[in-house]
Amino acid sequence: MSALGTAILPNTEEYGRVLEFLHHEAELLDTYRFAEWLELFAPEIEYTMPVRTTQFLTDGEGFHESGFFVDDHATLMTRVKRLETEFAWAETPPSRTRHFVSNLRLERSAAGPELEARIGFMVTRTRQDLDYQLFTGVRRDLLVPDGDAFKVRRRTILVDQTVITATNLSVLF
Amino acid sequence: MSTTAPRPAAARLSNGEAIADLARAEEGLISRRIFADPEVYALEQERIFARGWFFIGHESEIPEPGDLVTRSAGIDPVILVRDDEGEVRVFLNSCRHRGMRVCRTDRENASFLRCPYHGWAYKNDGRLMTAAAEEHYEDGELDKEELGLIPVAKLGSYQGLIFASWDAEAPSLDDFLGDMKYYLDIIVGRTGGVEVLGPPQVWDVETGWKYATDNFTDNFHVFSAHHSLVELGMLPNDPDFAAHGHMIVAEEGHILHLTPGAPNEHYSHMGLPQELRAQMAEHLDPDQVEMARKTAYSAGTVWPNFHWLQLMSSGTIGQPDVPFLNFRLEVPISPTRTRMWSWLAVDKDASPEYRKATYETYVRTFGPAGIYDQDDMENWEDCTRASLGPAAKQHTLHHKMGIGRAVDETWPGPGRAYKDSYGEMTQRSWYAAWRTYMSREHRADVAGELRS
Ligand code: FES
Ligand SMILES: [Fe+2]
Repeated sequence: MSALGTAILPNTEEYGRVLEFLHHEAELLDTYRFAEWLELFAPEIEYTMPVRTTQFLTDGEGFHESGFFVDDHATLMTRVKRLETEFAWAETPPSRTRHFVSNLRLERSAAGPELEARIGFMVTRTRQDLDYQLFTGVRRDLLVPDGDAFKVRRRTILVDQTVITATNLSVLF
Repeated sequence: MSTTAPRPAAARLSNGEAIADLARAEEGLISRRIFADPEVYALEQERIFARGWFFIGHESEIPEPGDLVTRSAGIDPVILVRDDEGEVRVFLNSCRHRGMRVCRTDRENASFLRCPYHGWAYKNDGRLMTAAAEEHYEDGELDKEELGLIPVAKLGSYQGLIFASWDAEAPSLDDFLGDMKYYLDIIVGRTGGVEVLGPPQVWDVETGWKYATDNFTDNFHVFSAHHSLVELGMLPNDPDFAAHGHMIVAEEGHILHLTPGAPNEHYSHMGLPQELRAQMAEHLDPDQVEMARKTAYSAGTVWPNFHWLQLMSSGTIGQPDVPFLNFRLEVPISPTRTRMWSWLAVDKDASPEYRKATYETYVRTFGPAGIYDQDDMENWEDCTRASLGPAAKQHTLHHKMGIGRAVDETWPGPGRAYKDSYGEMTQRSWYAAWRTYMSREHRADVAGELRS
């Protein structure tokens, strides 16, 4: 988080609009409205999920250049179009997901109108008759005002797990 | 006096079934019992994971003295470390005192490893330097010279790929790789060496490990399993698009495919950038260069569970395919759970632009979030779930494709080559090696049978 940013507190209208935006996004993902979800992203979106390793704290939090996701708008679009085919077997029949977002910390970036958001996330997934798969972590979103709503210009998904205990990462974050 | 013991009877399961009958590789009939059965898994631990050669990591992961990563050798947890003298070593990640895990990170740099439990401290070459409460041992009770970290029985590297075995009677790495070195050279030696980019992706899949293994030498699943990409115009709408080229069965159960892509320059030389193609003649013989020229896609398995995927794909609709080199390892955790390890490798001489392109293409298309790979895990898991019941275990899987196909005698390389990339001879060869390991009690008999 930018040290020079200004905190935006929960009792503000702006904080409420961001929260509403995040809840709206979660609902789109959990109701399979992927094309509408994609509209929430700016054309220059950088969407990444770095690989994490267990390290001593003195060596950092363990995030690396290598990743699980390194997407731009065109590759996210490709993912969405793939989910719209009948043959994306990892999601055909579809998983049931629930995207929970919480612990929102919001700052206005020093440079301009963008907002930097740190968002605790939990995604549950179950498919067929199977047990839950669970993904937790922090998202760092850079939000650009767009009318009353926002566009996501950068999303960094910082997972808590070093070993992903899931079949795959066919769910979106 | 003959010291040769008579060959023991083939191992049997408690229900009387002979191991040899579970993998009737020559007939293409593989019992479903072998994929998720606890008794088979228990026997695999002794017969395969205690006796084979296993990929540990790549030398580029531990470039500096003291660099270490934690891995598995077979299924035992190990430390892969470059000691202060620069020598690569692999130790059981377990203290000699009570067995505590000595290194508890995925990666660090350390001259000494201090056990948290009572404080025994080891040098990064494995020697025990100090024990705890040493003055309380009487003479002869604590022999520090004898109490270093437990090294693997055999350790070797080829073209930067580090392998280890727990079996002192295993053949040397050089003998074990045998014929396969010729083909490994095309993949990892073609420009004088590759390196891996960043730590591997690691994830746990609810599959018996052999369903994953089987899939890494299977070209003809692509049109169905990855049909979403056909729909999007990202794979040719031709069920035979990956059917051409050759499958090769080498010594010791190693197997590979060399498969051409569309007949144009973009898909020759595995799609590598021109400056890398130009280096091949320096590092490969003319036959190898010709094989590389004709190849767009190659999947290979160093028996049993290390794979390369040299593929071309795109993460974006309408954009040209980009090559990538992926190393894969599947390590069983239980009969129905497998830890997948996946590295992206790149030629050391690659440009920054190519590094970025190949890395992004790999992450977008393969690994757990890859638009290809995510559908593969779905198959392995559902194959596993359907193999658990007593009724299923009485039936076989079908691996008969190409069972009557003749060896291509014109093939210039080592091993037995078969025309075309659609066929199940590579799987049959893998299962035959599995049967040999599982049913031969003596290590020498394993190697003997796998070379005959
Ligand atoms: S277990 Fe390591 S010092 Fe006791
Ligand atoms: Fe596949």
